[in-house]
Amino acid sequence: MRRILFVTLIMFLLLMAAVYSAENDTVQPIFSSSKYNSIENYKIITEHFTGEWQKYGEPFTILQKEYVRKIYFWILIAIPGIFVLHYLVIGPKKFPHEGNKYLVFTVFNRAVHWLTAISFLTLTVSGLIMIFGKYFGGGGLVRTFRYIHFPSAVIFVPLGLVMLLMWLREMIIAPGDITWFFKFGGYLSKKTENIMPVGKFNPGQKSWFWLGTLGGFVMAYTGYYMYSFAASTDNLRIYAIIHNFLGMAMLIMFLVHLYMSLFAIKGSLKSMLTGYKYEDEIRIMHCRFYSKLSGKDCSK
Amino acid sequence: MGRMRFLCDVDRCIDCGGCVVACKEGHQIPVGVNRRRVITINEGKPGEKSISVACMHCSDAPCIAVCPVDALYQREDGIVLVNKDVCIGCGYCFFACPFGAPQFPKGNSFGARGVMDKCTFCAGGPAENFSDKEKRLYGQNRIAEGKAPLCASMCATKALLAGDADKIANIYRERGFKRGSGANAWGWDKAYNKK
Ligand code: SF4
Ligand code: SF4
Repeated sequence: MRRILFVTLIMFLLLMAAVYSAENDTVQPIFSSSKYNSIENYKIITEHFTGEWQKYGEPFTILQKEYVRKIYFWILIAIPGIFVLHYLVIGPKKFPHEGNKYLVFTVFNRAVHWLTAISFLTLTVSGLIMIFGKYFGGGGLVRTFRYIHFPSAVIFVPLGLVMLLMWLREMIIAPGDITWFFKFGGYLSKKTENIMPVGKFNPGQKSWFWLGTLGGFVMAYTGYYMYSFAASTDNLRIYAIIHNFLGMAMLIMFLVHLYMSLFAIKGSLKSMLTGYKYEDEIRIMHCRFYSKLSGKDCSK
Repeated sequence: MGRMRFLCDVDRCIDCGGCVVACKEGHQIPVGVNRRRVITINEGKPGEKSISVACMHCSDAPCIAVCPVDALYQREDGIVLVNKDVCIGCGYCFFACPFGAPQFPKGNSFGARGVMDKCTFCAGGPAENFSDKEKRLYGQNRIAEGKAPLCASMCATKALLAGDADKIANIYRERGFKRGSGANAWGWDKAYNKK
């Protein structure tokens, strides 16, 4: 009895499969002439060339032709311009740097930071040279930067991963981080008292961290496919769009980071080199972190 | 000046690959690079069609629009050419092209791409006509010799037409007219006189 049931079941499944495949059989009757006219054929053939050009190729072409280079140009002009204004009107944050020093960044922290920084800088510069390649005359010079772009990414990715794990805990979004953004953390004010209390890293640093690492991985992923062509043409087009536009966001944040550390906060570069920060600076700029470090209330 | 065009008559193309071989052989193109290829749809089924594709030398060419170093340019007669001394091999033209025409030879260290190569309509490149450099980088310059492109000249069924846009469009139109509508022109309905 069991066996009969079993055989019936198999037969039933086979029958279903046969019905299903018959319904999906695409072979057409031989004498239908309207089905195969040239226009239909060209339509089918076009899909065989390189996928859906209208959907992906055309947007890529328009964005690349009309916007990418222009936006990068304006980022490079406008962002530093804003910084010059900020520097002139509000000025840098200076601290007397008295009192105790605290070791904020270990040797390991600094090594990872600087190695990542170098590879990131190489990626940025070589990328920009490619984008503005025609002003460098193209050819061997620009091609060399294209060749540099790839190994830089290979160096960047593992370092970025280490950095991600290294600072993960401190970079998690904390309460008050959102409101910080509405007031730019108090950096638009001349008075240092207006700087809002934050932990070891402020929300600006945090967003740079997340964009730099996670965004960096997306850049690496899309870039790898653009480099190797190991995806369908439509995907390559999507990757190229993502790569070029995410790159803009990363460039903006990178410039902000450069400005803050080189110009806006005096001594910031030095602290990343030596690892030490002075008490007064931490108290004002990283109030909550200071409380944790010293056990003292930071408002004094 | 006339505008140069390719036109492949899908009702005549028999997927013999003659155009592909003529192009590869005549220009001594490396393995892995196909300036021209034949695509067949519905293979082995009724309605099978083949078409020979290369660079279509587009009027408002997407590849020229996206090239970051302006390595691509269009001649007055519509032929789109690449300057291999300027190209950086980024591949953007490949992303932009609707026909998959741009080709990239592999072979440098770490699998890096070489510079772009594509159909030149047998018109060479920016190097001086008939120079060694032109021959080495871009292949034969048959247009300067006053000849039609290799692929079209070779085509046994004369499916692949190349030349002045108006003239080849007329040829195609006339053919379509003579063999009835484009619909399955050489199909069974003709052979068995089926009404
Ligand atoms: S390479 Fe592609 S986009 Fe450029 S002209 Fe040829 S067919 Fe058109
Ligand atoms: S591969 Fe060469 S020709 Fe194509 S877009 Fe890049 S630089 Fe221009």
